[in-house]
Amino acid sequence: MGRTVVELFYDVISPYSWLAFEALCRYQHIWNIDLRFRPAFLGGIMQQTGNKPPGMLPKRGEYLVKDMKRMAKYYQVPLRMIPDAFQHIMGTSSLTAMRFITAIDMTNPQYLEPLSREFWMRFWSQHEDISQPENILVVARQAGLSAELSQKALEMTSSPPVKDRLKDTTTEALKYGAFGMPAVVAHYDGEPHLFFGSDRLELLGSVIGEKWLGPVPSPKL
Amino acid sequence: MGRTVVELFYDVISPYSWLAFEALCRYQHIWNIDLRFRPAFLGGIMQQTGNKPPGMLPKRGEYLVKDMKRMAKYYQVPLRMIPDAFQHIMGTSSLTAMRFITAIDMTNPQYLEPLSREFWMRFWSQVARQAGLSAELSQKALEMTSSPPVKDRLKDTTTEALKYGAFGMPAVVAHYDGEPHLFFGSDRLELLGSVIGEKWLGPVPSPKL
Repeated sequence: MGRTVVELFYDVISPYSWLAFEALCRYQHIWNIDLRFRPAFLGGIMQQTGNKPPGMLPKRGEYLVKDMKRMAKYYQVPLRMIPDAFQHIMGTSSLTAMRFITAIDMTNPQYLEPLSREFWMRFWSQHEDISQPENILVVARQAGLSAELSQKALEMTSSPPVKDRLKDTTTEALKYGAFGMPAVVAHYDGEPHLFFGSDRLELLGSVIGEKWLGPVPSPKL
Repeated sequence: MGRTVVELFYDVISPYSWLAFEALCRYQHIWNIDLRFRPAFLGGIMQQTGNKPPGMLPKRGEYLVKDMKRMAKYYQVPLRMIPDAFQHIMGTSSLTAMRFITAIDMTNPQYLEPLSREFWMRFWSQVARQAGLSAELSQKALEMTSSPPVKDRLKDTTTEALKYGAFGMPAVVAHYDGEPHLFFGSDRLELLGSVIGEKWLGPVPSPKL
């Protein structure tokens, strides 16, 4: 039987997206799924749906700092929370980073997974900037891209094809009903099904006939 | 070693609270926990924190109808979703129901679990059944709902949830390492288990024999 296509729409500014990303990266070798990474722009999704970052509600923001600490530990993702983490998000634009990731998706998709991970590591583990070109190049090198490829991708970030591709992917997420991230879309029973959040992977497994073994499953041998 | 006290702050108007309630009712016989039901008023929590029902954002509201269907099936809770479910919530006040439940909590707490379940069944399953209270007890509790002690008790419980940091429901508060810890949502029970050294066996665990 064919693998279930599972698409992960994510933005590296989103911490919960990192949790979903790492868990799905583990499960792609265990569940019968075809995992596809869909870099998209969270700012665009927020704008189109009228949604706001969850941390903007003060009591929720306080809770999310604690929730993220515990979830990151449980998911074994080296995400470090700082007290005003959610203000941290609001003061940064991920547009250039997501365009850079898109450029690599278009030209050298084998780097998509490590590159995305390095962006999260820089922004959510080291709490350093990911919006300036020189910092994006550092992330790219960290992910194993050559200086030449990194520079080429950086130049592409301002090109119409890359801008359009990111816009199109974001529109696709919206079409599937996304209003935030991570947005996981699984294709089964002839239809797309949206699962929002890093905490719907167990449910996703149950509807596609797979067993949830926690966020850090033992790899199949 | 003593059991971990786990408090569930809930309102019967909240569908996700029903899921957390049923899962925790199952786990109270499996995990080493002392589960305590804390009927509280979601409207008060929303008002005090400035939060709004999640279904008010249109795209989220559409998603929640689907999410709830799948979650209810997975949690084996007979919650039936209707298309404008979240408008359904907004057109109803649960204040009297929560005061009634509070009155029973104060006088006959052995009925708290079945009574709460029946309120959910009525509101979210559209199946009217019986919780087993005698007509006399029901009448007495109904009279108590407008009494100051019951009103105050509900208010106090709601304030306590707020003190623990709740901004919505279900709000689960587990007491360990000498402190209270808030877990928000019916989807944080696996995480709760992990921090208190218990294994998550899904929302419908086999009972311990």
